[in-house]
Amino acid sequence: MRILLVEDDNDLQASLAEILRGAGYAVDVSGDGIEGLFFGQEYPLDLAIIDLGLPGLPGLDLIRKLREHERRFPILILTARADWQDKVEGLEAGADDYLTKPFHPEELKARVSALLRRSAGHAQPVIELGPLKIDLVSQRVYNGKQEIDLTTYEYKVFEYLLMHPDAVVTKTVLSEHIYEEDADRDSNVIEVFVGRLRRKIDPQGLLNPIETLRGRGYRLSNPPRAT
Amino acid sequence: MSIKAKQTRPISLRLRLVVLAVLLLTISLGLVGFALDAAFHRSSEAGLRARMESLVYLVLAATEVGDDGSLMFDENPGDPRLDQPGSGVYASVTGDNDHWTSDSSLGISLPDPVPIPTGESDFLPASDETGFFYTYRCGVSWELPQDRLLPVTVSILVDPQELQPELRAFRKGLWQSLGLTGIILVLAQLVLLALGLRPLRRITEDISGIESGKLNRLEGNFPKELEPLQRNLNHLLNTEQANQVRYRNALDSLAHSLKTPLSVIRSSLQSDGSAKTVAIENAVADMQRLIATRLQRAAASSRSSNAPAVEVKTQLERLVLSLKRVYSQELINIDVMIDPDLEFFGEQRDFLELTGNLLDNGCKYGKGQVRLSAQTIDAGEPRAGIRLQVDDNGPGIAEDQREQLLQRGVRGDERVEGHGLGLAIVLEIVRAYQGDITITESDLGGARVSVTLLTR
Repeated sequence: MRILLVEDDNDLQASLAEILRGAGYAVDVSGDGIEGLFFGQEYPLDLAIIDLGLPGLPGLDLIRKLREHERRFPILILTARADWQDKVEGLEAGADDYLTKPFHPEELKARVSALLRRSAGHAQPVIELGPLKIDLVSQRVYNGKQEIDLTTYEYKVFEYLLMHPDAVVTKTVLSEHIYEEDADRDSNVIEVFVGRLRRKIDPQGLLNPIETLRGRGYRLSNPPRAT
Repeated sequence: MSIKAKQTRPISLRLRLVVLAVLLLTISLGLVGFALDAAFHRSSEAGLRARMESLVYLVLAATEVGDDGSLMFDENPGDPRLDQPGSGVYASVTGDNDHWTSDSSLGISLPDPVPIPTGESDFLPASDETGFFYTYRCGVSWELPQDRLLPVTVSILVDPQELQPELRAFRKGLWQSLGLTGIILVLAQLVLLALGLRPLRRITEDISGIESGKLNRLEGNFPKELEPLQRNLNHLLNTEQANQVRYRNALDSLAHSLKTPLSVIRSSLQSDGSAKTVAIENAVADMQRLIATRLQRAAASSRSSNAPAVEVKTQLERLVLSLKRVYSQELINIDVMIDPDLEFFGEQRDFLELTGNLLDNGCKYGKGQVRLSAQTIDAGEPRAGIRLQVDDNGPGIAEDQREQLLQRGVRGDERVEGHGLGLAIVLEIVRAYQGDITITESDLGGARVSVTLLTR
């Protein structure tokens, strides 16, 4: 999943980006509102984290402009202003949640995960897919009691497909959402990831949850159910 | 007002002007009265002199002089007052060796007549020298045989009492009309004062309107002289409002600039649970709580007296929509039971902060059912304040913990567990509005937090 982080404090931006990358997200960062708006409009994002006190374009205006441009990904506000007046204004501008500084990194990860889940329509943090159980918060995948060991990128691919059930996802889209803007992308690598993922989650080939649609992409069928 | 201020308080404008006007009127009317009195006195003396002069001729006409220079008189000199003893009008004629006084002088001691040279006459006002009589003297010569000339002095003396009735009548009329004029002028002055001071009274009323929050600035049309006052006062009010905004912005930016580094500290900590990490973590949490509660207190205490009324229902609906958005995956039902006309006469920011935190706690600790109701404290006085209740269906707060929770929040020097920072902020706001807060059991099963906020 790809996240835009707009935060003007360099130290905080760096450490938050590190935390989010550590949690398996692709993170694009920006230090001001105007650049943030450009990224928000141009990049294929799954979520944005926006600080309210931004140079260039204030956070609230940035959120309004993104919503005006029909960008519907969830937005999490980071704010030093803990007032409800500001929270209400932020939510009215189009944000989906807020986090008051200073916050725990765990809290940030939990909110991000919950927002991503909510926007995919999953009410619960644990998804069942046949015999598989995927815990979106701890990012662990179980087959019955047995934990399946996935690499970061394998999990990223799986997570993206889980968040877009029944949709046809091209290799380009997958690579756009698991890599950051300036990364080297190679669609062959995606094929490798999908191949390994299939073998790990369905070693017997009985379930076949990920279909390949030749020339078009992949589709996660056997829709996941919330536990 | 302090006692000292009472002692040095200057006399009121009205009293000042009235006293000065009365003093001025008394002095000027008094001077006019004395001048008129003196003028009348002089003119009545002039009239007296003319009358005395004609008496001289009457007396001369009645006088006959013998060849030896003796004086003889007609019985009737032609004025009855000369015959009537003590009439106040006396005549005397003095020759060389003879002296005559009119019958009216019987029993009256007249001063000794002083002869004056022939052909001269004089008028002496009543004084010590003249024995307190008006005296008119005229010197004539009587021709006697053998070309002798007898110098004769005719004196008319008039008791000053003669003029008194005339003077008294004049004075009475004079002082009566002057007094009436004075009263009319004082009354006119009072009317002028009332009219003249009316803009001042209006400005005072407007200022108390500003104090009570009904007005934002001096809007009325005031006379030219009061325009600088109005302008300066409005300027002062604007400055005050601007200062408040600036103050708040300064607090905001302080919060912003402190919280971001705190976030950096937190996000740089390893989550390894070591003693060091926990200590830093606790220190950051303390700083966070101090910033939140102290800033809230400062912002609440800087509340301006002329904030516009907050429409309670509208603002709560905004809040509920926002909360539903945040808790959208948790199926929370928030009931708002509020009269649409209910207004809160405090700061909107404080109101949102208080209800936001209470509702947020309700959503967090309840099991999906939150109810909020609000009423005015005093139906007859909508500005007095409001009462709010927030109920939830969560586990509630044990009786022995309620007091502790509220006490801790007030002390603000310990971490409030469970209900968190939100309650500490709520307590700050309640205190700023001199209200009170109680925690009881709700009919929904969870906690009920009741709050009153006074805005009078």
